[in-house]
Amino acid sequence: MRTPEVDPAPRAPGPRRRPAVRILLAAAVAAAAAGWVAAAVVLWRTSTVPSNLHLPHVDLHHYFSARELSRAASFERFERVDFLLAQIALVAVFAVYAARGARLIRESAAGPIGTGMLLGMLGFGLVWLVQVPFGLAELWWQRRHGVSREGYLDWLFSGWGGLGGEFLFICFALLIVMALARLLGEGWWLAAAPTFVGLAILFAFLTPYLLGRVHPLRNAGVAGDARQLERAEGLPPIPVRQQDVHTFTTEPNAQAMGLGSSRRVVLWDTLLDGRFTRPQIRVVLAHEFGHLARNHIWKSLAWYALFAFPGTFLIAVAARRRGGMSTPEAVPLALLVLVVLQLLALPLENLITRHLEAEADWRALETTHDPRAAEGLFERLATTSLAEPSPPMWDYLLLENHPTIAQRIAMAQAWKAGR
Amino acid sequence: MVVRDDLERSRLTVFFRLLLGIPHYIWLSFWTLGAILAAVANWFATLALGRSPDLLHNFLSAYVRYVTHVSAYLFLAGNPFPGFAGDPGSYPIDVEIDPPAAQNRWITGFRLFLALPAVLLASVLIGGASAGRGNGYQAGGVAATIAFLAWFACLVRGRMPLGFRDALAYALRYSAQVDAYLFLLTDRYPDSDPVLPRPTAPTPRPAVRLELTDDLRRSRLTVFFRGLLALPHLVWLVLWGVAAFFAAIANWLVTVVRARPSDPLWRFLSAYLRYWAHVNAFLYLVTNLFPGFTGTPGSYPLDLEYDPPERQSRWTAGFRLLLAVPALLVAGALGGGLLLAGVFGWFFALATSRMPRGLRNLGAYAIRYSAETYAYVLVLTGRYPFSGPNLAEAGQASVGPGAEPSSGVFTEG
Repeated sequence: MRTPEVDPAPRAPGPRRRPAVRILLAAAVAAAAAGWVAAAVVLWRTSTVPSNLHLPHVDLHHYFSARELSRAASFERFERVDFLLAQIALVAVFAVYAARGARLIRESAAGPIGTGMLLGMLGFGLVWLVQVPFGLAELWWQRRHGVSREGYLDWLFSGWGGLGGEFLFICFALLIVMALARLLGEGWWLAAAPTFVGLAILFAFLTPYLLGRVHPLRNAGVAGDARQLERAEGLPPIPVRQQDVHTFTTEPNAQAMGLGSSRRVVLWDTLLDGRFTRPQIRVVLAHEFGHLARNHIWKSLAWYALFAFPGTFLIAVAARRRGGMSTPEAVPLALLVLVVLQLLALPLENLITRHLEAEADWRALETTHDPRAAEGLFERLATTSLAEPSPPMWDYLLLENHPTIAQRIAMAQAWKAGR
Repeated sequence: MVVRDDLERSRLTVFFRLLLGIPHYIWLSFWTLGAILAAVANWFATLALGRSPDLLHNFLSAYVRYVTHVSAYLFLAGNPFPGFAGDPGSYPIDVEIDPPAAQNRWITGFRLFLALPAVLLASVLIGGASAGRGNGYQAGGVAATIAFLAWFACLVRGRMPLGFRDALAYALRYSAQVDAYLFLLTDRYPDSDPVLPRPTAPTPRPAVRLELTDDLRRSRLTVFFRGLLALPHLVWLVLWGVAAFFAAIANWLVTVVRARPSDPLWRFLSAYLRYWAHVNAFLYLVTNLFPGFTGTPGSYPLDLEYDPPERQSRWTAGFRLLLAVPALLVAGALGGGLLLAGVFGWFFALATSRMPRGLRNLGAYAIRYSAETYAYVLVLTGRYPFSGPNLAEAGQASVGPGAEPSSGVFTEG
């Protein structure tokens, strides 16, 4: 076949337009980046502790014995190494999968979207397989230190069940992404990001209804404290529930969750087993009500929205190398990009959650006016969970999503000093 | 397995069949004791000699034959009262057992352990009834379910339905193979392939036919995660099933009024049923490939082929659910076989990256029969499901030992 001759004249405006388009694109990107930063700053400023608050130095030996500090340091050291190795394995698996995963297309008789789902599920399945040794090592370590009571087989089977949930999630996500990519082309991410934000809002609303082993508080005293604290925070009646977890862990924990009418505070039964005093439990309740009063779940969703747009855009850019997200060949690479982006965003994500947690701690002090109970609570939390009160800086930046125990004790001291 | 049965049944002996078997139960219990002792002796002898001694081999062969005869009589697969000696060729449902041959000593040594999967599968194919601790009875197994239904059919018609008889012959053949393996008459592993025994008469053309083009190769990775990989399909199947439920009611009403299914509803429901077959084939390792989500014809190695919508009797359409109960019971019993084939196939395919042909074909048989049953329930067809494991269209019936299996049922792609 002969190539038709083309008059060169009409091509002339093309090269002349390109720089203009580039400039426009750069301006648009710069404007979007500026808008992103402005939104992030505004969002950051919506959660605050007093700006003049000075956290005093805390002498950890005043709260913890040398043996406790050494035990926590040893415990966390292993956990950190295990975590890092697991992340390296995770990225390595996805890197290999990004390079070779497309071969698995031959195992599918489904169309492009169905095949994309298969590749997505297999990617997560491989990662689960590779992560099993690290998970078992962590469980062994936690059992050895009395932090976990879960059996190895229980852990394995619950992990298998959890993987099923992940498979459903990745299928749903890929269905949205690939359908939008087939519908909208390379601009799919502009529609996908708000869709995922919408789904995140829906999920946040539904989460309280998905919890298992939950029942109303049996301790009338704690239930009465909860009523008093929610009134003090200016909240409408919020159900406080107890979750039975003592069969597989000894760690204490509490969570605020839900949106609007689904808002709940959930206390693990390990918090109510007599190791914590009632004033200490009041601090925990006030902390969780603080999250709800300061709309932290909505703010977390807003942060998610801020990250969703650049995240999906970067995935779309990377996927172009494999024909775009409308083709199943791009799925393994997209998974790699997603995982790497999540890892890179981890310090930022932890910075944001630490910021929100600090505000909830401050709200708890303002509501309970009981810094002594708060100090006792944080001290007890450290010894029961074997948390290192003052971890290394890299660990703090990369892994800690709460202020350190030392910082939390210091905040209680600062509040006391401020009175 | 040799089948020389003419399907005729005496209503009188059918009515009293379980009671008529009493002398056989007594004789069988004594013979079983002797057979167990003989089997232990045979195990030592085969380990030492590398083959089964003639005396023990003949004794145990006669026992296996006798068990087959008595089972065939009780399950209504055969009509005449069997003899007590297990003589070869003495009963219309009979097994031929090879003479003693050299056996692998390793396989002999671990025979009990190796036979376990086959014994479990045989128990699902044969089954039985047992009294519970309370007032109820438990029954199960393909052969037991079919025998229960066949009892009524034979009393009414004086004749055994061909599909039931062939399915029973298949279950009895597999059970005899398991016995022969367990008693060290052979070291060949029992073959669960339902293509054998071949049909002895032309079978009716089913309204739903199964096309299987699978090369038995399996990807270890997708096999390992098979149950989880099927999750999105199972979710979609449930959602589609909700719509199919209402479509089936509408289709039933249309058929009762017009004596013919509605074309759009027929297409919708047949696509749903095809998708159901695809998903089950994937889940139970009958095929290797991940299926699509639309039930498109020709899109999958295991596929259903339908005759176009045709006229149906208003009466059978009106009482469809009631009429489908026997077929649903058989489909349920075959579901146990499908599950077991999937579980055993999972281990085998994980180790060898291949699916055993017998298990694959057993799974395909269960899916084919269930699809026929559901097509009947959904009023896609008025033809009753054929429960025989193997199909031979008129003019293609394989009647001799050298005949080829019927074409177009299970093919290798």
